[in-house]
Amino acid sequence: MKLLAKYNRVTLVTTIVVMLITGIIYYQAISLILTGIVDKDLVVEENEIIDYVNVNHQLPQVFESNDQQISFTEAKPGSVERQFIYTLYKKNDEHRKHKHRHEEYESGRGLISSVTVGDKYYKVLIVESTVETEDLIKIIFGITAGVILLLLLTLFITNRLLLNRLWQPFHNLLKELRLFNVADTKEITKLNTTIEEFKELEQAIASMSSRVKSDYKDLKTFTENASHELLTPIAVINSKLDTLLQTDNFSQQQSKLLNDLYTAVSKLTRLNQSLLLLVKIENHLVEGNVPIDLLAAVDELVIQFEEIFLDKELKVSCNLTDKQITANPYLVDVLLNNLLSNAIRHNHPGGEINIILTADQLSIQNTGENQALQKDQLFTRFHKSLSSEGSGLGLTISREICENLGFTLTYGFENNYHIFTVVF
Amino acid sequence: MKILIIEDEKGLRESIEEYFTESGNVCETASDYAEAIAKVNMYRYDCILLDITLPGGSGIGILKNIKENNYPDGVLILSAKNSLDDRLEGLDLGADDYLVKPFHLSELRARVTAIIRRKTFSGNNLLLFNEIAIDLLAKSVKVKNQAVKLTRKEYAMLLYFIANKGKVVSKNAIAEHLWGDGIDMANNFDFIYSHIKNLRKKLMEAGSNDYIQAAYGMGYKFTDQ
Repeated sequence: MKLLAKYNRVTLVTTIVVMLITGIIYYQAISLILTGIVDKDLVVEENEIIDYVNVNHQLPQVFESNDQQISFTEAKPGSVERQFIYTLYKKNDEHRKHKHRHEEYESGRGLISSVTVGDKYYKVLIVESTVETEDLIKIIFGITAGVILLLLLTLFITNRLLLNRLWQPFHNLLKELRLFNVADTKEITKLNTTIEEFKELEQAIASMSSRVKSDYKDLKTFTENASHELLTPIAVINSKLDTLLQTDNFSQQQSKLLNDLYTAVSKLTRLNQSLLLLVKIENHLVEGNVPIDLLAAVDELVIQFEEIFLDKELKVSCNLTDKQITANPYLVDVLLNNLLSNAIRHNHPGGEINIILTADQLSIQNTGENQALQKDQLFTRFHKSLSSEGSGLGLTISREICENLGFTLTYGFENNYHIFTVVF
Repeated sequence: MKILIIEDEKGLRESIEEYFTESGNVCETASDYAEAIAKVNMYRYDCILLDITLPGGSGIGILKNIKENNYPDGVLILSAKNSLDDRLEGLDLGADDYLVKPFHLSELRARVTAIIRRKTFSGNNLLLFNEIAIDLLAKSVKVKNQAVKLTRKEYAMLLYFIANKGKVVSKNAIAEHLWGDGIDMANNFDFIYSHIKNLRKKLMEAGSNDYIQAAYGMGYKFTDQ
């Protein structure tokens, strides 16, 4: 749920509830006041009747008015209790619209009182129509409801506009965060906001990102330094092995041990060089772009690997068209080497490799295990198949190189072919 | 040939020295910048093996010194930095070749031999080993004046062997020399065997002696002894 929706829901519900309660209180207050006014009228009328009786010693003439009716009924002395009541006002429309007598009832407010004329005791009922009062209340209520609706509408619209504008820095920041790249040297763009909370958020994010970046840089420097420091001892081991080889007469067991040592050292060397290369590519330290004839480069590599294809009984078919790119020749060499090496390494004897170069892409297809590889882990460091003898960095490096050159590297599995495609 | 090894890492320096020391070769060593500068300015060498990171200064400084004084020595840079910048800078400054650590001694030997061969070229592009004659320009091989048709890799292998004659060269080193970095895809180097077999057969069919000996299943030795 969006913040705006949530906010709107809360404010609207509270507004409606508060407005309803206020409306009820308002209604009650107004009707109380208006009833009070009617009651005063009734008391005035009662006083007039009592004055009249006191002066004239007889009941006054009962006349009908449009809003008051007075009636006298004889009653047992002392039986009438003075009180205000809600009652019905019988309205007589005869005089106004209709020929025949038509009775209509309206709500009314009455005062029951008593008066003594001579020795006779009368119950007096004065009723006044409250229709106008109710009309008034209705109008007031209507206006209030209108105001409430208007208020809600205004709230809704201003919330929408205001919140959207208020949250703009937040959205900008979010965009920055989405684009955040730990390897990038670009700083988070400064927000143009006066709002304290966003300023704080921005500062927190900026300090976090710079901390992350510096940690990442430290880590990279560490990797680079560690790899560098390792090179010298590896070089010594390598040269000592070469020297050891010159001494005479090894038993079969010794030569097997030496062979294993050679293999391990060469693996270590390659791993180390891969790490160094990776750091270098990530740091964008490899420069020097020149025009490269990709067709010739692929051709040369295929010739270079000819003996290995033969040894593994691989059938290689090339379908190459002319393609020029501008890139660092060393990186292109590593990229092609890695992709083709993988196609060979993960193939089975008697398998196939197809190399297709078009103006848009280079795709290398190879047979191998009849099962697609897990795409999400394919390009992560040190992820490799159980049977792989490689360093587990080849595809990571390949992808980094592609990104560096502005290409994309994708993997697909079709018709039992594993397909790696470089899209230019 | 006379070689100066400028390398601060003792283990490596000694290995190189030992590998290059044989009858007809003179090896000298320097372990820091000052010693290296002193030797470079005092004697002439056929080839100087130059480490870039040295105590007391950079190998690049020594290279500049050599070039400023117009010394004709061949220079091969040894560096732990597989940095293209270093490589380009080194080659721009007039180094003859560049080798990244770690390396096989046989590879180093082949490179040094190639540098010295180029330096002492003097119109003679023929490399002789007993009855085998190699025309380095035409990249052709003759045995007792009879042409031997070798593939590119067989030719490269023969040159590599001759540069390392009398030494046991490991299969790894041969494979890396011929196939470069891509070689790690081959699970074993047995396929090298068939190439060596072919080379040997071609040479012997042309009347050459059998110079290639297998060494304990680890490598091969090219020797006339």
